[in-house]
Amino acid sequence: MSLLTGPGIVVMLLPLFFKYETLRYKFEDDGMSMSWGILFRHEIHLTYRRIQDIHLSRNLIQRWLGLSTLSIQTASGSASPEMNIEGILEAEQLRDYLYSKMRGARGLDENIADSEQHPQDEALALLREIRDLLRRRS
Amino acid sequence: MSRRLEQTTAWVYRGIWGVLTTWFRVPSVPPTLPVTSGEQLQSFRPSYGFLRYLKFRFWLLLFVVDIALLTAWLAITAASFKIGLWLAPIALAVIVLPDIVAYVAIHLRYDTTWYVLTHRSLRIRRGIWLIHETTITFENIQNVSVESGPLERWFGIANVIVDTAGGGPERTSHGGTKENFHRGILEGIDRPDEIRDLIMNRVRQSRSSGLGDEHAAAPAWGTQYVAILREIRDSLVGGL
Repeated sequence: MSLLTGPGIVVMLLPLFFKYETLRYKFEDDGMSMSWGILFRHEIHLTYRRIQDIHLSRNLIQRWLGLSTLSIQTASGSASPEMNIEGILEAEQLRDYLYSKMRGARGLDENIADSEQHPQDEALALLREIRDLLRRRS
Repeated sequence: MSRRLEQTTAWVYRGIWGVLTTWFRVPSVPPTLPVTSGEQLQSFRPSYGFLRYLKFRFWLLLFVVDIALLTAWLAITAASFKIGLWLAPIALAVIVLPDIVAYVAIHLRYDTTWYVLTHRSLRIRRGIWLIHETTITFENIQNVSVESGPLERWFGIANVIVDTAGGGPERTSHGGTKENFHRGILEGIDRPDEIRDLIMNRVRQSRSSGLGDEHAAAPAWGTQYVAILREIRDSLVGGL
């Protein structure tokens, strides 16, 4: 039994090591992605606008090491988070950045006002033209 | 006597709190949300009624469990006085110790629960060992429910539950249910109507379905369009 422990630990640690070595996060203007894995490759992409809620959780060991888990959720069917961002030291700043990119975090009022001030005028102009043509004819 | 006891418990509690914040890195400041200037932000704990509610439930449970344990010990003592005497310290420990731990845990739970509200979003912080913070914008909320049981109503509190789009609780392999991430629970709120209205007004104002869709939808036929269409009809009628 004790002979197996040595290789056992290595076998257990290898996937974690490879995940750590290949894990990449990418943050772009409108979305982000993460990817990991060598044999079994995983990639997750999502846009900031479709984030439903953001969870930041820290257990005792993570707090001691200054780490945290940032879970991002979209409106998909699963109750478990779509993306888990782990091992980031600046998790709080990252969360606030993602929050500012989320729908409804800001800029909503301006958007509504904007769309009411400049309606799609093409249809209106066409209708005016038809009206004027009819008037001239009659 | 009771005053000294109170002072001592307060002192002990402050000690525990100090250990938690320094050694266990429990944040001592309330959470905040990034806000633009001029926006108001309120950060609050559950109402005091929630603490009294938790304590009342605790005393109720303590009464039942301790009476049961005490009768069990008395029965053993009646059967054999020697064994009863021998068991007395263990019985005392079993009866008293968990109560103290549970009582402190209630206070800690109350003191580590925080809610932050702005007029766009909310943030909930909860937990001692595992600190969990949830951030939800009102724009993404699908429904708000207010729930309270008879005991909670007696203490004048209610739970405000907000749901975002997505799955319900997931069933794990061993039959239990995992925490539902698509939900924010504000426990022990003494003004649930105010918070419900704050959120629901925002949800009503929003024209999207809260599923990540944009606002720039196709414009409806506004009053201007209808007016011109009427004029066209009228001129057609006049022309005939």
